[in-house]
Amino acid sequence: MGNVLIINGSPRAVKSNSKQYAQLLVGYLSQPSKTMAITHRNHQKICDEMQECDDVVFVFPLYADSIPATLLQFLKYYEKYETKHTPRVHVIVNCGFIESMQNNVCLEMMKIFCQKNKLPIGSTLSIGSGEAILGTPFKVFVKLALYRFARALMKQRPKQYAVSMPLTKKIFIRASTNYWIKYGKQYGVSKAEMETMLIEQ
Amino acid sequence: MQLIMSDIQLTLPRVDNKVYKYINLLDFKIHNCVGCYGCWTKTPGKCVIRDDATKIYPLIAKSERLLYVTRVVYGCYDVPMKTMLERALPIQQAFIHLVKGEAHHVQRDVKQKRTTIIAYGELSQAEKVIFQQLVERNAHNMHFASVEVIFVEEEHIEVAVSKELAKWEMF
Repeated sequence: MGNVLIINGSPRAVKSNSKQYAQLLVGYLSQPSKTMAITHRNHQKICDEMQECDDVVFVFPLYADSIPATLLQFLKYYEKYETKHTPRVHVIVNCGFIESMQNNVCLEMMKIFCQKNKLPIGSTLSIGSGEAILGTPFKVFVKLALYRFARALMKQRPKQYAVSMPLTKKIFIRASTNYWIKYGKQYGVSKAEMETMLIEQ
Repeated sequence: MQLIMSDIQLTLPRVDNKVYKYINLLDFKIHNCVGCYGCWTKTPGKCVIRDDATKIYPLIAKSERLLYVTRVVYGCYDVPMKTMLERALPIQQAFIHLVKGEAHHVQRDVKQKRTTIIAYGELSQAEKVIFQQLVERNAHNMHFASVEVIFVEEEHIEVAVSKELAKWEMF
């Protein structure tokens, strides 16, 4: 078993849920791993690191139904990087919506990136309700999914996983509304203020 | 209002500026969204990054007819357009509701849009299929009443844009 490079493609890398997903994953891997967050300045360094590993895991959130611009910039940079080594690429993507299937188009984009760069495609994990799930008792489901994902990676048997909160949509929306009300409250912003219809006024 | 937004310089037919507004993204300084949720929870409806994106997302919200001209990479909008679309987050609320049975964010004062996207680049069939699927997903999150994607070679962009604008004059 070789080294694993985990690449955090979240624009809010330091405070991101992706960072927490990466940390949980590291706990389930029995082989050496390194985690790097994409910034504007470290594209070259990450590409260099990719030459030293056998598996790469991209962890990132869904932004506007697809790959965040931060990660997209890196993928384009990688395409120009002269490389012979081809680590297997795994993907963990999370969206705030309950339907993990909302990540599917984005996963297909990552597959196109792999095909263009002749990188073998590994496992995928699609997380729904990914903004809040780690702060709920349902965290256990994510941990289980990450454990399975790690096992598939180590056994080199690519698999596709999906996980979300086991709630009805109606209950999810109620829970999500409460989550955001609490979020606003910490800045002294009420629900009514958050519901403003005004834009830049 | 009618808005044209491109990631490439276009020479457009001269018309009264009231007919449509044209934004060439390359003329604007737009930073990446940092996912802070400030526009939802600290200063609702306003992005905390006070760069040129704050001039553009109100126009996206107000437009009833929209034309995006964008390069496509891996079946996704290329970086300039993608960056701007991410920075348009303030036009939505944090709160979620169901749209056609799927969870999506509630829009603020955002007009329903008839949208056309002129997509260019050297694209495989798979990239075209994925981009089409992406746009269909965007329709739920970006308040598109209808949307059409037109794939063109880069050298044919302006012809495609002219044809689209001719339609705008007719309907």
